[in-house]
Amino acid sequence: MGYTLQYGQVTPYLGYLAGGAWLALQIAAVAFLIGWAIGLVCASVLHYGPRPARWLVRAYVTFFLNTPLLVQIFFIYFALPDYGILIGSVEAVILGMSLNAGAYMAEIQRAGFASIRRAEIEAAETLGFSRLQQIRYVILPHIAKVLYPPLSNQYIILTMTTSVAAIFGVEELTGRAYNINAQTFRSLEIFSIAAVYYVVLTVIASAVLYAIGRFLFRIKGKVF
Amino acid sequence: MPHLVLDSLSADYGRDPVLSDVGLSVERGEIVSIIGPSGSGKSTLLRVLVGLLRPRAGTVAVAGTPVDYGSDAALRKVRERFAIVFQQYNLFQNMTALRNVTVAPTVVKGRPAGEVEAEARALLAKVGLSHRVEAYPDELSGGQQQRVAIARALALKPDILLLDEVTSALDPELVSEVLDTIRLLAADGMTMLIVSHEMAFVREISSKVVFMADGRVVETGPPAQIFDAPQTERCADFVRRILRH
Repeated sequence: MGYTLQYGQVTPYLGYLAGGAWLALQIAAVAFLIGWAIGLVCASVLHYGPRPARWLVRAYVTFFLNTPLLVQIFFIYFALPDYGILIGSVEAVILGMSLNAGAYMAEIQRAGFASIRRAEIEAAETLGFSRLQQIRYVILPHIAKVLYPPLSNQYIILTMTTSVAAIFGVEELTGRAYNINAQTFRSLEIFSIAAVYYVVLTVIASAVLYAIGRFLFRIKGKVF
Repeated sequence: MPHLVLDSLSADYGRDPVLSDVGLSVERGEIVSIIGPSGSGKSTLLRVLVGLLRPRAGTVAVAGTPVDYGSDAALRKVRERFAIVFQQYNLFQNMTALRNVTVAPTVVKGRPAGEVEAEARALLAKVGLSHRVEAYPDELSGGQQQRVAIARALALKPDILLLDEVTSALDPELVSEVLDTIRLLAADGMTMLIVSHEMAFVREISSKVVFMADGRVVETGPPAQIFDAPQTERCADFVRRILRH
C-alpha cells in the first residue's frame, strides 16, 4: 500500500474533534433520558394498562423496533416541516433516537416488571408492609437491579448511534471527522482518531456504569 | 382458655372450596402439626390465618379475641399476632440477612434502629448465623436462608408462628439444621402451627397432629394416635402409605 500515515496533518484538529465528542455525549445522554422515560411509561401501560392503551403502545413499539432508525429520523426531519413543525437537525436526531430507544426500553422495562417476585411481596405483606412500603423497599430495588445492566447497554449503544447525526449535518464527532476529511483527505488518520474517541467515550461510560452497578446493586460482571 | 381457636373456617379460590368447616383449638405453647396429602388445604389454612386469603365463613380467635380479616387496617393487627415462614424462604434478595430481620420492626413498627439491630443480631445468633449477618440471601445456603426467614418472622414478636413446609425445598443434609432451630423455639414455649412432611419430626415435636384431606379436618389427636392407632380409614391409609418407605 502506497499510503503513508501522516497524523501530523490532523493533530491540529484534535480539539475540534473533542468538541464533537462532547456533543455526541450530550445527544446520547438526552436521548437516553427521554427514551428511558418513554420506555417507563410504555412498560407501565403494557404491564398494567387497559387493553386499548396496550394496543396503542404495542403498535408504537412494533413500528419503531421494526424500521431502521435512519428512516425514522429522515421521516421526522423531512415530514414534520410539511405539517408546519420546524425543528433543527439536532432536535430531529434526538427526537428520532429517543423514540427509537423508547421502544427498546419499553420492552426492557416490561421484562423488569414481569420479573417482580410475587413471593417476596407476599412475605412483605405478611410482615405488615403497606402497599407503598412494599414498592419502596421490595419492588423498586428489585426492578432497579434487574434493569440496570440492560439499560446500561442501551446507553452505550446510543453513544455509538449518535454518529447517524452526521448525515443530517450535525457537527458531532463523526460529522466533524467528515469535515476534516473533506479538507485534508487524511481519511485513515482522521477516522481512526474518531474511532479512538468513541472508544474513550464508551469505555469511560462502561467503567462508571460498572462502578455504580457494583456498589449500588452488587452486580458482579466484567466490563472488559 | 385456648390460645388459638378456629371455628367452622371455610375459604375458597374463586369457585373451588379449599377449606371446609375447619375447627381447631391450640393451647399456649402448644405445637400442632398439620399433615395430609397434597392439595388437602394445609398450606391454605396457614395462608388464611395470616391474611393472605380471606376466609369465606367461620371465625378465628386468639386469646379469646376474634380476629378481623375484613379490612387492610384489621389485617395489620392480624400480622402482629401471626408470622409465617414459607417453603421457599421468600427473603428480600436486595437486603443482607441482618436487614431482612430488621426491616419490618423499623419500617412497619417504627422502632428505633439501634434497639432493633441488637435484637436482630441476637435472633440471628440464636438460629446459628451470627457469622453471616452481612451476607445476602444469594450468598447463603437454603438451610441458612430458611433460618434467616425464621429469625425475620420472630423479629415482630408474634404470638403464633406458622411454618409452611419449611424444609421441603431443602437438600436432605440441610434439613436437620432447620429442624434444630424449630426444636429450640419449641423449648422456648413458642406456639406453633407446622405443616410438614417430615413425619419423624412431626411425631417427635408435636403435642397434637391434625390430619387433613379435601379441605377438611379428618382426624385430630396426639402423635401416638395418628401414627400408631388412627381412628379413621383415610388417616390410616395416608399414614400407611407415608410410613411404608
